[in-house]
Amino acid sequence: MTDTAVLGRSQGMVREARHLLFTVSPGAAWIIVFLVLPSAYLMGVAFMTNGPYGLPQMPLSLDSFKQLAGFGFLGWSPGNLYTLLRSLWQTLVATGLVVIVAYPIAYYITTCRAKWRPIMLLLVVVPSWTNQVIRTFGWMNLLAPGTPLSSVAETLGLIAPNMGLYPSNFAVTLGLVYNFLPFMVLPLYAAFEKLDTAQVEAAQDLYATPVKAFWHAVFPQTLPGLLAGIVLVAIPAFGMYVIPELLGGGKALMLGNLVANQFSGGSNWPLGAAGAILMLLATFAGLYAMRRIGKRLGGGEEVVI
Amino acid sequence: MTETSTAERHSQRRDEPHEGARPGDDAAGSERTASAIHMQGLHKRFGASTVALDGVDLTIEAGEFFTLLGPSGCGKTTLLRILAGLEEADQGRLTIGERDVTEVAPHHRSVNTVFQSYALFPHLSVRDNLAFGLKMRGVDRAEREARVQRIAEFIQLGDLIDRRIDQLSGGQRQRIALARALVCEPDVLLLDEPLSALDAGLRSQLQVELLRVQKRLGMTFVFVTHDQDEAMVMSDRIAVLNGGTIQQVGPPREVYERPVNAFVARFMGHANLYPISARQGLRVTTELGELELEPDLATTEQGSGELLLIRPETLDVRLGRHEGVNHLIGRITERLYRGSHAEFRLTVGDTTLQATINNRGRRLPEVGDEVTLVVAPEDLVTVAN
Amino acid sequence: MRKRTLKRGLTAFWWLTLVFLYLPLAVVVLFSFNAANSAASMTGLSLRWYHQLFANDQIMSAFGNTLVLALTSSLIALVIGCLIGYGMYRHRHRKLGWLIVLIYLPIVLPDIVFGISEMAFFVKIHELTGLLGPGLGTMIIAHVTFQIPFVALIVYSRFVGLDPSLFEAAKDLYASPLKRVVHFMLPTIKPALISAFFLSFTLSVDDFVISFFTSGPESATLPIYIWGAIKKGVSPEINAIATLMIAAVALAALASLVVNRRKA
Repeated sequence: MTDTAVLGRSQGMVREARHLLFTVSPGAAWIIVFLVLPSAYLMGVAFMTNGPYGLPQMPLSLDSFKQLAGFGFLGWSPGNLYTLLRSLWQTLVATGLVVIVAYPIAYYITTCRAKWRPIMLLLVVVPSWTNQVIRTFGWMNLLAPGTPLSSVAETLGLIAPNMGLYPSNFAVTLGLVYNFLPFMVLPLYAAFEKLDTAQVEAAQDLYATPVKAFWHAVFPQTLPGLLAGIVLVAIPAFGMYVIPELLGGGKALMLGNLVANQFSGGSNWPLGAAGAILMLLATFAGLYAMRRIGKRLGGGEEVVI
Repeated sequence: MTETSTAERHSQRRDEPHEGARPGDDAAGSERTASAIHMQGLHKRFGASTVALDGVDLTIEAGEFFTLLGPSGCGKTTLLRILAGLEEADQGRLTIGERDVTEVAPHHRSVNTVFQSYALFPHLSVRDNLAFGLKMRGVDRAEREARVQRIAEFIQLGDLIDRRIDQLSGGQRQRIALARALVCEPDVLLLDEPLSALDAGLRSQLQVELLRVQKRLGMTFVFVTHDQDEAMVMSDRIAVLNGGTIQQVGPPREVYERPVNAFVARFMGHANLYPISARQGLRVTTELGELELEPDLATTEQGSGELLLIRPETLDVRLGRHEGVNHLIGRITERLYRGSHAEFRLTVGDTTLQATINNRGRRLPEVGDEVTLVVAPEDLVTVAN
Repeated sequence: MRKRTLKRGLTAFWWLTLVFLYLPLAVVVLFSFNAANSAASMTGLSLRWYHQLFANDQIMSAFGNTLVLALTSSLIALVIGCLIGYGMYRHRHRKLGWLIVLIYLPIVLPDIVFGISEMAFFVKIHELTGLLGPGLGTMIIAHVTFQIPFVALIVYSRFVGLDPSLFEAAKDLYASPLKRVVHFMLPTIKPALISAFFLSFTLSVDDFVISFFTSGPESATLPIYIWGAIKKGVSPEINAIATLMIAAVALAALASLVVNRRKA
């Protein structure tokens, strides 16, 4: 290769690199400065000591993590641990219920005429376009003591008289299911739409019973969509703040509330930051687990949202 | 690599279908001059290991319909993209007309391309697609519209001019893509497998159309294809490429009938090739037996690596045993009836070969028949391995 | 026979789910016309809450803030996200894993962590430099941060869906780099830009948690105002604002339906 050729090529590379820098750096810099740095700072805060007014100060310590685990001035109390367990439990139950509702709905949409399908999907999605606070407020109206739903529950003996269905753990679960249903329907619908019907027919041919045909031919094909849906539902549900705050009425707090309260009340930033780290770890662990499962099941790229 | 002189090349044009009709001479009313292209020592590599072009020297005459032919990955598309300016050669020089364009950006070259996928702009109407190049060059609106109208009529698609691109059929898109490039009146038109997405009938119709357009305008066309039939139908001259180097350049008949090596022989059509084990004057010995060559073809190269080429259609297949010069006795093992002709697979001794005969209603040999194969000395060619 | 029962069951389930999805919204709309000051019983129809709404300065300023925030942040995110989306496309053969991670980060980060990180950071910066005091400015910064990835991904997927030869055809047809942007790229990705803008706008109006933690005393948006009102004890006005916001969403849904129809 002659010198000029080498020169020409390196000039081209410089030009390409400059182009990459020009297009990508504003956005990358924005996210780094306004999200990566703040998150890093927050993580730092978790290792600082709680000062007056709840603001963090030196020296570095692990106090916040101890507090998170329940060790306070008055010895160990299980409050935080309960909150953590409740978060996990609510996430599990809500995700499970969302799957149970979304699966038949997604399937039903694919069985309808092609021209109706976009409208049906829109109908499922539109409520999630309204503000979360408003939607939750709607449920407060529905579940408050004295409303028809509460009265029915009362006559059935499900709740104590004059208590109402809200605030309660049940209301929080309901709110979570309501909030995340569309996030599960969409990926499942995509999976059903791509379903290879030849496989289903072959399975009916080979396994005969509908249940077996479903299990061997339909379910595995919808798994990538299901996993994607679980990621979209479970991760934000675990960190949910608005719904437990409004529908739980202070009795059914989740991790998001524990964290947020340390900041909005100005009571203990390091403790809140420690909770945030826990939430981040859970998020990344969840993403990683789904990716691993997705890869092993051959779902491949679709699972990686 | 055989690079013959220009004079020789033109003398070999004797058998061209367009005998006497030098492109440009009959370019109806067009006074434009076509441009020649000179390539000198072009090298191109992708990454560290992939060599796309390994030293290409080539001259394309002004007004010529020139085809770059080869299997995928042979470098033909890379060469075309270097001509278009979409790829920069690592080494070497490229001139179009009088101008050295080696380092000229594509939008500063008077070269246009018809892309394999047509690459029509989906957000624009047919009219705006056709006008795009003129608009970018700053041609004023009135002239732009006149030229767009003229080219649309030239390709007989005047009534589609206000359609959207997604309302056109494949053949229509192909014509619009051609017109969009032609309307800019480039010095050279590059065509990257422009017909490969079309079905067979439309394809042969458009081959004829393309050829007519080129003859009328007298423009230099550089055409890329992997289809040797298409190359032979269309081209004034063909360059056969393999592994980033030019194997042979010549008119279609020369490349088909007198290939320089085994690769070109096989690529241009079915080839019965046999190593020559001994050679004495005009007599060569192969696994088929002794065969006699025509005096002209007693080439100077008498190396041991040579092969004897027998094209299937040069073999005459006669029933029964006959004696004579270049007569081979064989047996039919397979027959493929194709209407206009029939293909036979035969064994001569332990060697297999293929023969094709025109179907003229006579009795065709059956599988198992003993036949005599006769080949004229002038149809035998020796090629390098 | 069995198939038909299944289909009937599914149809019933579908309608039941729709009721589930729309009941809370319907209740809000219904109570916004309630004559009585009660969340439990309807006594008659009236427009009094709407009258009160328009007379309430706090609500009107929250409405203004919501619009300014959504418009400004969407426009900034559109420019930055569009550049990054094109960069990702153009350099897609390079190893850009770090960039992908960076772009997905705002999407996967839980809202609450996102919000408090920014809040803590802004407070620290304000303490050190006096800049970035809480208000519309910090909210815009935070919103742009979560809008960029969506714009980038929409623009990127539009570019990926294009025939790569189009870029070469533009070069081949004498378009200089600037003309390629103006006459080819921008017109070609226009639909993607429009939908990215609307998505960004919706995300901004829809957001509560991040706004809540980055807002200042003067920069409450409608969701923040509603939140405060709910916390203070339900005021029936909330039903009226919420109804207007629901109506806006319904209009947007209709518009998207019409656009889709026209495309098909």
